[in-house]
Amino acid sequence: MAITTLDPRSTRAATATRWSRATRPVSLEGQILGLVCNGVGDCEIMFDRLGEVLTERYGLAGVVKVVKPSVAVPPEPDQWLRVTDRATVAVTGFGGCGSCSTRSLRDALELEAIGIPAVVVVHAALIAAVNALNQFLGGGDQAIVRFGYPHDPTAHWTKEESADIAEMIAEAVRDQLVRVPANAGVRTELAAS
Amino acid sequence: MTVTEHYEYTDYPQAIEDYFERGFTDGLPIVPPTPEAVEAMLTAGGFSGDEVLGEVPTRDVIVTAEKAAVNAVMAGCRPDYFPVVAAAVRAQLHRMANAHSTTATLAGSAHAVIINGPVRAEIDVCSGQACFGPGFRANATIGRAVRLVIRNVENSVPGAIDRATFSWPLRYSFCFGENEEASDWEPLHVQRGFAREESVVTVQSVMDFVQALEFDPDPEAILDCIAAIARQRGMFFDEWCGTERSLVVVVGAEHQRRLIDAGLSKQQVQEKLWPRLAAPGTGRHDQAVTAAGPENVLLVAAGGPGIACSWILLPHLSNPISELVTRGAA
Repeated sequence: MAITTLDPRSTRAATATRWSRATRPVSLEGQILGLVCNGVGDCEIMFDRLGEVLTERYGLAGVVKVVKPSVAVPPEPDQWLRVTDRATVAVTGFGGCGSCSTRSLRDALELEAIGIPAVVVVHAALIAAVNALNQFLGGGDQAIVRFGYPHDPTAHWTKEESADIAEMIAEAVRDQLVRVPANAGVRTELAAS
Repeated sequence: MTVTEHYEYTDYPQAIEDYFERGFTDGLPIVPPTPEAVEAMLTAGGFSGDEVLGEVPTRDVIVTAEKAAVNAVMAGCRPDYFPVVAAAVRAQLHRMANAHSTTATLAGSAHAVIINGPVRAEIDVCSGQACFGPGFRANATIGRAVRLVIRNVENSVPGAIDRATFSWPLRYSFCFGENEEASDWEPLHVQRGFAREESVVTVQSVMDFVQALEFDPDPEAILDCIAAIARQRGMFFDEWCGTERSLVVVVGAEHQRRLIDAGLSKQQVQEKLWPRLAAPGTGRHDQAVTAAGPENVLLVAAGGPGIACSWILLPHLSNPISELVTRGAA
């Protein structure tokens, strides 16, 4: 007896966003960095240091940071306004847990869609989750910087380790946020140390 | 019907095997969701297929009644279960249920589906002996339907968006009723503002599921035990959960009997438990369980006679949501 069955899976909402990649500045000099921090583990310390390192090395004109009220939710409307009103480039993360990594990707996609170049910082252990959601959303070539072990995925880091991570990823973050010559070989990730 | 994709098979076994191959199942065989079976599900609940039950904004996912019905058929639900499934899905997708977080987290949280009101008797929901376990079609398949919706419609697939470190057995199915007939304790749904004659589903994410075993008949000892066990785990919450952050304590029949014999109402038990739970912690293994207030210690009477125990359901970054069991708009 032949039978017909129905597909149980979702389809994307008709209102789903069409993503686009923001135009990059030629350098970070004079840019305002938005830090959309989810507060997972000790990542806020790392992000604070990242803002300092990017300012010292590349001449940022300012940093505006928000810490979301929960690790895997969108920024509150007032937080979103604070970032989008001032920031000209942005970093989201930390992608150190299952839901926070993917939500951070979404935050980056939404920033890109309104014209703010953004990079999401993710632990190597969670890269598959980020890639899965990015593929599902049709996010395309979203900028990702990742690093791996021995650093704990859930950002249980010492203060010194947090600072070391910031120093380690700063160049890759810069590379992802600025316009570079076609053959410059932009790094999309950092190898595990 | 608005489903865009159909599959054709020569027989039921071929369909079952192919759904395994396509990754549409929880690892157990499913009932093939034929258009007729799905339509029966929708019709029984009075739903149109395109009625939206909720969404997961982070994923651009909307969950329609039709997709929920497809997964309810697959789970083995009877058509008359569908209004309960739909209410549970609505609850699980409420903003404060934090669907993206609770279904993608490393913590692998499960979802408890707690049923109150007359629908329990109408569809034979077990709330007494062995209510957490296998053997009861409504419990097993309603809980499974919610999980299949999470997997297939909300796109929480292990190895992709679902990042549970271990996951756990409660993720196959976790659904039970409150034993409202066991006493004159006010049922959960009445405490949460519904009428006793209404049927209501309450969904709570579950990050920890721990037993509080106390044979001492003294009510104070029972409450001390429940609090001490909960405090060993603490409560994973953040500011975003606000003033509705809660835990669930499923009070077993022996504990309930002893509390009632001491003249304690549900409300009085809540008022006695909350300060024990919320007191400042003293260390890693004694942490405050920061439910917002006494009314946020959700007490549910369930289980059978015998062992003097209760079970504590600690949440994962979300609040319990109660939804009325209703027919659809169709």
